[in-house]
Amino acid sequence: MTGRVTPLGLALLSAAAWALSLGVLFARPEPLIATIPLALVLLTLALPRRAPEYALTCALSADRVFEDEGVTVTITLTATSPLAVVILRGPLARDVELASGKHRAVTSLGPGETARVSYDVRCPVRGVHDFGHIVVHVRDRFGIRAWERHHAEPRVLRVYPRVAPVRSLPRPLRTQASVGDYVSKALGEGIEPGEIRQFAPGDAIRQVNWRASLRLGSLYVTQHHREHNADVVLMLDTLAQVGAAHATTLDWSVRAAASLATAYLARKDRVGLINCGGTIDWVRPGSGRVQYERLADTLLRATVVFTYVQKSLAFVPPRVLPPHALVIAITPLLDPRFTRTALDLAARGFDLVVVAVSPVDVTRATLPASALNDLACRLWALDRVTQLDEFRRHGIPVLEWNAASEPLEAALAGFHRRRARLATAG
Amino acid sequence: MIRIPAAALALVLFVIPWTIALAKPVAVAGGVALALAGVGIGGLWRAPLLASACVFLIEYTGALWLARAPVGVWGAVAFGLALLLLLASIELGRGGRRATIDTRVLRSQCAAWLGFTTATLGATLLGLSLASGLTASIPFTAAPFLAGLAVLGVLFALATIVKRPAR
Repeated sequence: MTGRVTPLGLALLSAAAWALSLGVLFARPEPLIATIPLALVLLTLALPRRAPEYALTCALSADRVFEDEGVTVTITLTATSPLAVVILRGPLARDVELASGKHRAVTSLGPGETARVSYDVRCPVRGVHDFGHIVVHVRDRFGIRAWERHHAEPRVLRVYPRVAPVRSLPRPLRTQASVGDYVSKALGEGIEPGEIRQFAPGDAIRQVNWRASLRLGSLYVTQHHREHNADVVLMLDTLAQVGAAHATTLDWSVRAAASLATAYLARKDRVGLINCGGTIDWVRPGSGRVQYERLADTLLRATVVFTYVQKSLAFVPPRVLPPHALVIAITPLLDPRFTRTALDLAARGFDLVVVAVSPVDVTRATLPASALNDLACRLWALDRVTQLDEFRRHGIPVLEWNAASEPLEAALAGFHRRRARLATAG
Repeated sequence: MIRIPAAALALVLFVIPWTIALAKPVAVAGGVALALAGVGIGGLWRAPLLASACVFLIEYTGALWLARAPVGVWGAVAFGLALLLLLASIELGRGGRRATIDTRVLRSQCAAWLGFTTATLGATLLGLSLASGLTASIPFTAAPFLAGLAVLGVLFALATIVKRPAR
């Protein structure tokens, strides 16, 4: 850490030069005398000074939060040498707002003294925010010499998309062999009672239905339905987005994906994710808490990468897109390439559901109120009806969600899929 | 908060020349300087404040020149201290902008500047006693040249101190 002369030192030098010149020009000693305080301060620069020494720590109250939640940042500065004036600039990421307190602080510390700066931030937008950059600016007591150090440490705050409670989920057509929450027609191990039949050698005693056995005079057992889980793949359209910052169609899509992932994982389903945009990345289907972390980590980085190149799902490994998976495409349907990809998936026999995040309301919120804008939005809404009908003509269930005005749960509650094969699931 | 003492110091700088000479040019220069100081204090900007300091110096020297007053040492010291504190207070204000300011800073700054004021007064007294001893030995005709040379020497020394490599 090297010291430097502050702009105040240069200003004092300029004022001193000006005063001395005026004194000589006007042949008056007073301006020369007035220079004495300025010169004395500047002379302190000639004294040798050691670079300030201190210990700095920074802590976040949480390193993972959901959107709109808050975090407390606490910075502790302990001086080991005198620090006449310390200007501390704490970390404040770009998309993060100060909720209370200030991230800048000015203090003065003697050797061994400690200063603690604490402030609360609110995280309105998902993402990985850098909280590792702290600037410590130390000045001498007259403010003419300064030392500055930038402390950069790997300290990030992950802000996960907001999760809304969802109970009415689109049911998959086909289930997998593992245990889950979907009651199958097939009989076997489970807790949902099915038919009653006569006892056969090999049946467990705990399956005996004693009430029926007593009434009918011979042993009867209760059979149960199997309960299976399903593979669900969330396909997120990251080709285009519209809307105001922090409330774009992509933001709403990500929130929907996080909510659906949470709800399906709670049902013991295996959930995967494909970010389908300028770059394609994915998370293999899996279940459990760790899988949620994987999905959330991928979702919070989801961003629109513009490209002219048509990305093909043919490059996606079959393990990521299992043949019997329920694919939920979450899209604002702004880019025809995503529509083609979705239709291609349906043609390949995938069980596809389209959640169309309406861009009309999201865009309308950013426009000034005028008759022309109203007309344009109405025409756009009509155009989207045609677009959605194209999916329906192909037998693909489509759910339109007005994210700005309607909770996802309300949109899903009104979504009834006709599933001929549902009865035979499992 | 720091703007209030800074404004008071600017007023002191405006008033000191008026106590020497109540003339229109002094008032005009003082008004310009005060306006520049107002801009600098309001926005915590360095450049207008430095400009105002220079204009205040012109106002002060002009008042002395117009009044042809006897040498006033303590007024000059007060003017110099006010000028220094004005520039320093704005620099402190810039550092504390949108920041939580600990009371320890205010205490230590007050103590530092009080100590410095005392040291300045002592240095001035010492300088005056040395100067009064030297005055008799300097020939009258050589005095302006010596003064010019001394000013150049002081400026060169200060510039060397300011511009030397940082440690």
